[in-house]
Amino acid sequence: MKSRVSELMDGELQGREAGVPLEALQSEGEAREAWRTYHLISDALRDTRMVSESFAARVAARLSGEPTVLAPQRRAAAPRATRFALPVAASLAAMALVGWFVVQPQPVPVPAPVVAVPAPAAKVAARPAPRVAPPAAANDYLLAHQAYSPRNSLQGMAPYARTVSAAAERGKP
Amino acid sequence: MIRGLGILLLACASLAQAQSPADALALLRKIYQATEKLSYTGTFVYQQGDRSEASRITRYAGPGGATEKLEALDGAPREIVRTREAVKCYLPEIRTVKVDRRVDRRAFPALLPERLTELARNYEIALGEGARIAGYDCVSVVLTPRDELRYGYKLWADAATGMLLRARTFGRDGETVEQFSFTQLSIGNIPRERVKPKHKASSWRIEDATVTPANLAGTGWTVGAALPGFRKVTEVTRRLGESRPVGQVVYSDGLAAVSVFIEPLAGRAEGVRPGLSSLGAIHIYTREVADHVVTVVGETPAASVQRIGNTVEFRPRP
Repeated sequence: MKSRVSELMDGELQGREAGVPLEALQSEGEAREAWRTYHLISDALRDTRMVSESFAARVAARLSGEPTVLAPQRRAAAPRATRFALPVAASLAAMALVGWFVVQPQPVPVPAPVVAVPAPAAKVAARPAPRVAPPAAANDYLLAHQAYSPRNSLQGMAPYARTVSAAAERGKP
Repeated sequence: MIRGLGILLLACASLAQAQSPADALALLRKIYQATEKLSYTGTFVYQQGDRSEASRITRYAGPGGATEKLEALDGAPREIVRTREAVKCYLPEIRTVKVDRRVDRRAFPALLPERLTELARNYEIALGEGARIAGYDCVSVVLTPRDELRYGYKLWADAATGMLLRARTFGRDGETVEQFSFTQLSIGNIPRERVKPKHKASSWRIEDATVTPANLAGTGWTVGAALPGFRKVTEVTRRLGESRPVGQVVYSDGLAAVSVFIEPLAGRAEGVRPGLSSLGAIHIYTREVADHVVTVVGETPAASVQRIGNTVEFRPRP
């Protein structure tokens, strides 16, 4: 079932094929546990800022309880192998990395190594960009942009309130 | 007999339902026409997150075209006056006036009536429930986006004139992203003096954007395939504040717009902060490409500005 859940997450299952793991996910059990674990791993790959010490501990606990977690993947042999070679490789890499972090004695300093995993980059959608303060010239950008917004034709000048909003000034040094 | 009546009623009901998108489009058109022809003055509140700011807006529609003025009532005094020719932003505290002259008239709003059907491809458009706002009995129209690349809108307009009284922008889960709402409004009979700028500004510094039509592809820049449902509206070079000329490409889906600014890194006064920031419904995404700063500004969800920003490429011409 875990491999089915993994395939489901990787978008490998369609129509009826997806029905079985989806049904299994409706109740607590192995499938749902796997779902959570794989999502934690996928989150870790996408945005490592989310990773905390308790994350590592939880995954470690689960890993130690599931020594065979990687085994079912091997069954997905011949015809499909090429299709999900990447996701599986990514999962393996993630497991390895997570495992590596877990054995480190210090609090997990995370980011760089996980980001460095090359395989999932193509598979995973663009990572969310870091949040920053608005540019110092935010008002100038907004003023230049607003002139072309079709909303002006429904709202007259009201949307220009944004361009003189004190909020846009916050980016100023 | 009774059964026949029932069937007739059912038929009428389903007919009314079938007509409602047309009614919603008609209301949008009415709002558009009211925005074009009415004179009015009023106070409205702009809300964004836990902030709200009041502004006064005045519109004078005369024989030589309309003039509109927006004055910030909260915070630093600022004033923006828009005519057919230009948008001027008066900043008395720094004795500066920013001037943005219109060069490509086609790029400016009058887009809507022709593009209403196009709008319906990107948004599900339906009538909403009425409300009383600032003393006016209003009807509403809801534009629900068909994908996650844009926000949804709910617009309330005076049932009699079509004047827009409130506009709410909402996100995927229906949460309010920002809202404009009149608290007081009087329609008609606005003396022309009311839209004149308060400041003479004769000795003020002038920052002219000097907008010029441009072709960025000719200089090696490409912005990849636009977002689904968005099309290119205009392409210009301009100044931002006192910057060197900056390229600006604008995309729009008929309601929301996204601008891509491309400016040389050299000669910039302040540093670059790559990443994503937001101001109400506006998202700003900044990244560096080939010694240039690419800044994407759009009234869309973060993913949309990021997606379009990541397609910007520079390939030097031979």
